[in-house]
Amino acid sequence: MPHRLGPMQTLPSPMRRFAENETVDYCIVGVGSAGGVLIQRLARAGFRVVALEAGPFWDTEKDWVSDEKSSHELYWNDLRITGGTHPLALGSNNSGKGVGGGSVHWAAFAPRFHPSDFRVYTEDGVGADWPISYWDLKPYYELLEREIPIAGPAWFPWGDPHGHPYGPHPLGGVGDVLVRGCTRLGIRSVAGGPVAILSASHGDRPHCIYRGFCLQGCKVGAKASTLITHVPDAITHGAEIRAHSMASRISLCDDGRVDGVVYIDREGNERFQKSRAIIVAGYAIETPRLLLNSACPGHRHGLANSSGTVGKYLMAQAGNVVAGRFDQLIRLYKAPPAHALSEEFYETDKRRGFARGFAVQTVGPLPVAFAKQMIAAMGAWGWGLRSVMMDYNHWATIGVLGEILPWEDNRVELAEEKDQYGLRVAKVTFNLHNNDKKLIEFGKKKVMEIMWAAGAKQVVQESRFAHLVGAARMGNDPATSVVDKFGRSHDIPNLFICDGSTLPTQGSANPGLTIQALAARTADYLIKHGDAIFFSNHRDLAEPGIRYDLSPPYTRFKGIPRIA
Amino acid sequence: MSRKSFPFRSTGGELRDLDQPGYYPGYSTLAQQKSWDDATRKAVTERVEKTPPIRFFSEEEAALLGAVIDRVMPQDDRSEARTIPVLLVIDERLFKNALNGFRYENMPPDQEAYRIGIKAIDEMARSRFKQHFVDLTVHRQELILKSLHDGNPDPENAIWRRMPVHRFWALLMEDCVTAYYAHPWAWDEIGFGGPAYPRGYMRLENGLPEPWEKPEQRYDWNAPVDSVSVLDKEGAPPEHGSLHGHGGSH
Ligand SMILES: Cc1cc2nc3c(=O)[nH]c(=O)nc-3n(C[C@H](O)[C@H](O)[C@H](O)COP(=O)(O)OP(=O)(O)OC[C@H]3O[C@@H](n4cnc5c(N)ncnc54)[C@H](O)[C@@H]3O)c2cc1C
Ligand code: SF4
Repeated sequence: MPHRLGPMQTLPSPMRRFAENETVDYCIVGVGSAGGVLIQRLARAGFRVVALEAGPFWDTEKDWVSDEKSSHELYWNDLRITGGTHPLALGSNNSGKGVGGGSVHWAAFAPRFHPSDFRVYTEDGVGADWPISYWDLKPYYELLEREIPIAGPAWFPWGDPHGHPYGPHPLGGVGDVLVRGCTRLGIRSVAGGPVAILSASHGDRPHCIYRGFCLQGCKVGAKASTLITHVPDAITHGAEIRAHSMASRISLCDDGRVDGVVYIDREGNERFQKSRAIIVAGYAIETPRLLLNSACPGHRHGLANSSGTVGKYLMAQAGNVVAGRFDQLIRLYKAPPAHALSEEFYETDKRRGFARGFAVQTVGPLPVAFAKQMIAAMGAWGWGLRSVMMDYNHWATIGVLGEILPWEDNRVELAEEKDQYGLRVAKVTFNLHNNDKKLIEFGKKKVMEIMWAAGAKQVVQESRFAHLVGAARMGNDPATSVVDKFGRSHDIPNLFICDGSTLPTQGSANPGLTIQALAARTADYLIKHGDAIFFSNHRDLAEPGIRYDLSPPYTRFKGIPRIA
Repeated sequence: MSRKSFPFRSTGGELRDLDQPGYYPGYSTLAQQKSWDDATRKAVTERVEKTPPIRFFSEEEAALLGAVIDRVMPQDDRSEARTIPVLLVIDERLFKNALNGFRYENMPPDQEAYRIGIKAIDEMARSRFKQHFVDLTVHRQELILKSLHDGNPDPENAIWRRMPVHRFWALLMEDCVTAYYAHPWAWDEIGFGGPAYPRGYMRLENGLPEPWEKPEQRYDWNAPVDSVSVLDKEGAPPEHGSLHGHGGSH
């Protein structure tokens, strides 16, 4: 049986296998949102690439189901410790495990960051500035919007206004509520995207069937994950992805350069992959954990950590869910959870008394997730829980997505406890600060107002957090950041980090598209410098220039971002 | 496993045994299984047909936790044959030590949390009512559990000084709903469409049913009126600041 990636697409076979002792050009740790794009580009450019992925290589027809409970395996379920004043829920609330990483279970909202996101410190005196501007990233946004591709409105009015290559999706019950509530309050909204979900078929991927199981992995292949968008092309071009391979340590040589990754294979054996350069793309928790677990003489506090900032400035977005009960039926399980939003409150408004803002987005919890929300939001239990759940089809849910600023005390460290591989697990500490609290309070009230305006008879809310990023941030100053603007670590010239952990601030846009755009940009930089990356310690900070010839099949120059 | 707790006064008259509670009479997700993909059909039908044995809890512990579950995730309105297994599912998770990806720094591991949590509940029953929890009347059982729900254990118990009661409560409740609302009989009860690949949905707006779904028929469902777990306006637990959702959403 061929390895299936959706009902029509199959994984190219055979996949290249590098010999045990072969030295490769790039060893990439983690094939998630960023890793999938990186490996595809580097393979297409002719590099010898091996990617180590801790989880399985999904066969979507066999391994994925249209069922909430049985999709548990998509998440990173191994132990992590969480603490602080507002401890983050981890597991199903944040990261994936398996080829595709978090892009397998994301809701696939794909908005861009705003130009102001890159200048938060300059404009508001809080947070940090990015070492790049929006305009550096803009061509990569446009490129990835075609490669993924993104469906959405022809005119997206916020930030840098833009259109989308694929048309918007029809509205579901929850989107209808969002648009109605916003309209009654004079708040602009958009519907049908931007989402990384096909509104028309594309190559060997069918369009969306509106079944609402996006967070369970899209068996249809309509929702983009790097597993189905970029990985097949990587395999075609000679990359090897080694699934069930957990990187445990990065090895450093006497010359101050890294030379390979120690990992544990499926059978529990320790192995070593020799590589001329290494890119860590393991998510905002596992990336700093791996660097900290790789401490060695000369790097006592972890690799690439001379600044002491590895693990620090971790961010999560406020993700409060507001639920409203309507007399009429909604049936919130239909349509992708992600399909309408407003960014009207994204930018700083001094009158509100806090910096930065939030987005308003549809969410579509399936029964188990909704029951959990009712436990938290209403204190439901016993008969009360049974009866509120009988009204499941009368509820609509809208999420706040609020920007929480980067704070030094929000961090990933190593706990004393060890996992099944004998590696110290991550301990995540999260505290809310004053600006964050004010923002959350305002955001949640505003979304409750929208829900009432839409005609809800009862409105409740659950506080939660989403989207961990930061913890190995990029910056110009080696004393206050871990990597430079291309993801190269300040300390070790052939060690790169490329995933959500390099984000200096997070805006109130979902991070996935930005993470993939940054990965394509890092790839262009590496390709431009060719072999120099493997031998030279020289750090060239000139923009590499974007390459348009590396896109996966069916996507090159396909779809025109319509702009009115 | 459900211990029937008659008599209860209920809104729709006397509490009856129902094969299918909820407002969608005659609706069956399982009847749609021909339209599901193989992997999903297998996962869902196994959930209905194969119930695992108790392997983690001792007999006494199982009886005690079973009694707790009968109150926090009650099914007295369901007929015996249509009772959804909850205890067995929790036992299986703990037996396999299947984790949810994290643990609060001030919480013991899940297995231990359950062991000491139910021990505390039984001790509370004995100190307040001089009886084991399983032997208490339904009302008294609910009083003990309500105090945990409220975050003010009554009577106090040393275990709640070691383990934050609201975290234990969330752990228990989330495990219960994960078992109950993952079951196709619960989908029938709440009118959820269930698995939907490869067919998909065609009527997205206005809450309209698919041709194979059933329209809602509201009636006075016979929820008990004298249970302390019935929702009231002040039902929400005290804001713990740190108590927040665990599910993923956007
Ligand atoms: C429920 C939910 C909904 C979401 N919805 C959205 C959304 O709508 N829009 C959006 O933009 N974002 C969304 N996100 C967030 C998004 O999924 C992540 O931000 C994104 O996937 C992060 O990308 P990454 O490359 O940093 O890491 P990941 O995609 O998590 O990839 C990391 C990969 O590295 C592997 N790995 C880690 N450590 C090791 C190791 N030591 N050895 C080998 N492999 C390792 C992991 O198994 C994983 O596959 C959502 C997240 C959740 C949980
Ligand atoms: S709603 Fe669409 S994108 Fe989401 S899982 Fe279903 S088919 Fe895939």
